[in-house]
Amino acid sequence: MTDDSSHSTPSRSSPHASVSPAESVPESESKSEPESGPAPNEEPATELHTERETASGSGCESESTQTPILEATGLDHEYGAVSVLEDVSVSLRPGTVTALIGPNGSGKTTLIRALAGLHEPTAGTVAYHGPDTARQIGYLPQQPSFRPGFTVIETVRFYASLVGAPNPVPTAQAHLDRVGLADAASRPVDALSGGMTRLLGIAQATIGDPPVVILDEPGSGLDPGMSMHVFDVAAELAADGMAVLLSSHDLELVERVADDVLLLDDGQIIQRGSTVDLQRRLDADSLWDVYRNATGGDTDTVTVQGEST
Amino acid sequence: MSDENRTQAQTQAQSRETTSSSTDSTNTNTSTNTTTHPQTKHILKTIIARELRTVARTRTFYVLALALTAVVLGVAWTGGGIRAGFVPTAVDLLTPLELLVPVVAVAFGYRAVLADEQRGELDVLETYPVSNRSIVLGVYVGRLIGLLVAIVVPLVLVAVAVAVAEEDRILIYASHAGVDSPLLFVRFVVLTALFAMAVLAVAIAISAAVSATRSALALAVVALVVLLVGLDLLLVYGFTSGLIGDGALVHSLALSPLSAFRGLVFDTVVVVAAGTGPAVASPLASVLGLVGWTVGSLALASWVLNR
Repeated sequence: MTDDSSHSTPSRSSPHASVSPAESVPESESKSEPESGPAPNEEPATELHTERETASGSGCESESTQTPILEATGLDHEYGAVSVLEDVSVSLRPGTVTALIGPNGSGKTTLIRALAGLHEPTAGTVAYHGPDTARQIGYLPQQPSFRPGFTVIETVRFYASLVGAPNPVPTAQAHLDRVGLADAASRPVDALSGGMTRLLGIAQATIGDPPVVILDEPGSGLDPGMSMHVFDVAAELAADGMAVLLSSHDLELVERVADDVLLLDDGQIIQRGSTVDLQRRLDADSLWDVYRNATGGDTDTVTVQGEST
Repeated sequence: MSDENRTQAQTQAQSRETTSSSTDSTNTNTSTNTTTHPQTKHILKTIIARELRTVARTRTFYVLALALTAVVLGVAWTGGGIRAGFVPTAVDLLTPLELLVPVVAVAFGYRAVLADEQRGELDVLETYPVSNRSIVLGVYVGRLIGLLVAIVVPLVLVAVAVAVAEEDRILIYASHAGVDSPLLFVRFVVLTALFAMAVLAVAIAISAAVSATRSALALAVVALVVLLVGLDLLLVYGFTSGLIGDGALVHSLALSPLSAFRGLVFDTVVVVAAGTGPAVASPLASVLGLVGWTVGSLALASWVLNR
């Protein structure tokens, strides 16, 4: 491992430590195309195994073809006696959208907060291997909220100024353009709809062009059209070279935009890979089938581990 | 993330610079988005400017400022200080300000950091190159400017009223012993500002320490009781029980911001004008006491956010 980031707790050996630096892969090559068929290194369709069975961290072959920009290894997180994350390893690659899915209470938000450096994991490391930028990780909270009394452009300008943008106003305008919120620039943040607030949150998350952008349920509570737009924006960020991690319960949209999917259940990543990989591995027709097969299909109860996700 | 960790991360990031060329090529920036590591001074200016805008756009602060102006002018007028001179006016205003300044200062600050935390903005700010120390200091300075405007402007209006209405017009603008002077009133204003600075810092510490508005309100009331009554009672108890000796009394008054303020006003304004009188405070200890409360409270706020 070349780096221990600020929010690391070096207490475990790293299953990802053997990942060798690789040349960056152009975006078009790094994307998994559902129509393109199996990659040479993919597992046979009949072979089914889970992360739990194979021990943590090996990941699918596609993940190891590019140097991860953010690498979490062996993350544990405990709230008192409650274990919320157990030996979770995640690698995020530039130019890709990685989706984190899983039942409520499975630990998604806890994992996201650990990756974003917002809390220390009980054990494990989070290492950032990206360029030296003013802001390394952009973050959209699950329920973004902004200081009332300010307009949209003032809000984004404030954040742009914090990363030392030489021209905060044009920078803010460019970020609003990117998420399609330019027309609402002069509107007070208190007067935004839920979807617009979410878009403003994404604009904020991309201020400073952080190489890693983490979006906690960006489509939550939005109408289908706005959800699709939000996911499209996430895909565009990845197309611009960012490593995007988003959590979501909207499996159709995840299937549409995600290059890699991490399925978290009971604090452990039980499946990971592209949608095509997962469908083949679990003999499923859709990501919903993957989700149901992998989690046991129990939709009557909520797993409660200590933190709402 | 603590400040120490943040600094460590930045150092590590710099050490990684030479090994990250492969990922550099995948990070596409728009032409307007070129950013650099901003200086702490720039970040502070940005946070202060936002706080100032917030204060300027909050009606409650205007109401508080207007109410304070009305009370200060009313007390000065009805007490007869305006016609008697600057020092009599300061004496008239001292007791009301001992109560009003802490109340207004706490109102300006008790939710300043808490509101950002409740909106999740502190989490978001952790992903920016902004230390918790900068957040606390920026919020404090921004609110302080607003608070000082709310407190100093009414006092300046009173001073103007005294200058216009005083029956025996003062022509000597100096702080000679036994002479009423506008300079003594300026001292009074400066000391009041110093007192406000200390109480606002306590309010900022409260806003950083709590996680709910109700808790902030409760703790703010407790802080007011402690600052306005509790510490003075402790000093009285210490003196009557013999814990504080006669010689140490004037110095121990500095432990309470209120007593420090009151002692400074008496020692540097009232006694000076009277020309003679007993030593009622240790000016140096009192100033150090107020500065200590200010710095200590802000350090506490930063420490709490770093946890």
